[in-house]
Amino acid sequence: MQVVTDNIGFLLGGLLVTLELTALGFAGALLLGTVLAVFRVSPIPPLRVAGTVYVEVLRNMPLLSLLVLFVFGLPDIGLTFSLFTSAAVCLAAFGAAFVCEAVRGGINTVAVGQAEAARSLGLTFTQTLLHVILPPAFRTMVQPLVNIFIGIALGSSLAAAVGVSELTNRTQVLNLQSAQAVVLFLVSGAMYLAIALLGGLVGGALERRLSVRSR
Amino acid sequence: MRTTIRRFLAALATVTFMVALASCADSGTAPPLPGSADTSRYDAVIAASPVADPAAITPGSWADKVRQRGTLNVGGTDAGPLFSLKDPATGKVTGFDAGLSQMLAHYITGKPTDNTALTITTVDTRETLLENGTVDAVFATYTITPQRAAKVAFAGPYYSSGDAIMVKADNTTIRTAADLNGRTVATQANSTAVLALQKAAPGANVLLFQEDAQCVAAVQQGRADAYVIDQGILISDASTNPAVKVVGEPFSTEPYGIGLPLNDPTAKAFVNDWLEAIYADGSWANLWKATIGTVVSGDPPAPPAIGSVEGS
Repeated sequence: MQVVTDNIGFLLGGLLVTLELTALGFAGALLLGTVLAVFRVSPIPPLRVAGTVYVEVLRNMPLLSLLVLFVFGLPDIGLTFSLFTSAAVCLAAFGAAFVCEAVRGGINTVAVGQAEAARSLGLTFTQTLLHVILPPAFRTMVQPLVNIFIGIALGSSLAAAVGVSELTNRTQVLNLQSAQAVVLFLVSGAMYLAIALLGGLVGGALERRLSVRSR
Repeated sequence: MRTTIRRFLAALATVTFMVALASCADSGTAPPLPGSADTSRYDAVIAASPVADPAAITPGSWADKVRQRGTLNVGGTDAGPLFSLKDPATGKVTGFDAGLSQMLAHYITGKPTDNTALTITTVDTRETLLENGTVDAVFATYTITPQRAAKVAFAGPYYSSGDAIMVKADNTTIRTAADLNGRTVATQANSTAVLALQKAAPGANVLLFQEDAQCVAAVQQGRADAYVIDQGILISDASTNPAVKVVGEPFSTEPYGIGLPLNDPTAKAFVNDWLEAIYADGSWANLWKATIGTVVSGDPPAPPAIGSVEGS
């Protein structure tokens, strides 16, 4: 346990990087994923196809492959991003495919009659989406989005494999010095657990606030 | 019907995209890695190594358990060039560490082949797998340190290596470890090279990657200024890759030991006796020639004295 208390600052620094990666990755995934979902439900076929291809490629590829391609493949065509940026972009791009499907699923739970009513009132596609469809749809998306948040938080540990000095990477460094694998990975595992539980708590609170009280 | 067609088109587009990606990446064909070719010389060295006198194996001891089982459960890797690398075509693991594990198994069981069962260990799992008895011995460029010696017993050292520096072929500014201060230096996450580096160049910004190939790519692509790891591995990489070079002499000493369970004192004494035997009859030097000697020029070095470092 002494190895943890002696290096707590180093570990917490790694936790901070993990939190940053998670926050940036999830925020990016939310933005891009929502845009993609709009593509997939839009009346314009090329956009629908683009959205579908994106989701099928990114969702069906291991995140580690994506990271390795991004970090070691792109420099070969002259594009070099910092390791942190690369990891954040990959997490966002990967998460976006899942967010897209969660948002689309949420949209599909709103009865078609609602959209028809909105259109018969003269609302445009954008207005229908923003004012009629998305508000109730968001309620059903909360839990799937919490799952995606947890997926991104835990997935950020793969960034250790491409040299980002986040929590898992720092745990490995400390283990090299001290040979205390069990203690170290228990502690870092507990930190990931805390992030995931926190995400679940926020999601639960959000869901309660958004729920429609039965009258 | 329409959705079926659309799904089919989407799948088609996806596959096309992946194939296109793969064909882009295929442009630089990698040369064959050392060790993946003819292994007859290597096999001969193992077959010629000594076999223990059955009377020397005390009933109930560590070695006796291995002999009864017929295979030595080895902890190691299959992705370490020169030391323990698997040939994907034949499934055979060869290298200096792999060869020693096969020699030890030969010594105990008398079988020259199929005498080991490899469990892939990482730096994160080695001590734990020895402590809980999953593996009998760890051969994994396992540097002997006092911290590790508190958890496992080390036979050896059986090889003394050192970390050296790899840079881009056109780099002229990095010559010694001191030049690494203020630079970005890549190394493997599972190697004690990071500790040697922190000691020799405390001002270096360290990047930890999972594999050797990634560290080389990081240097080649300019993401890191240098790559620090065991000199033999660097020489092996540079021998197949003209874009990088190895500079200077090793700046650290890495005594490699064989990790053994701490709770069975018969193991360490037995393995040390075996090491003395293969030092004496030349098997150790022959194995060096068949593995590390294929990329490092000159005669085999003198093997390190058993028990000569702290923790062994």
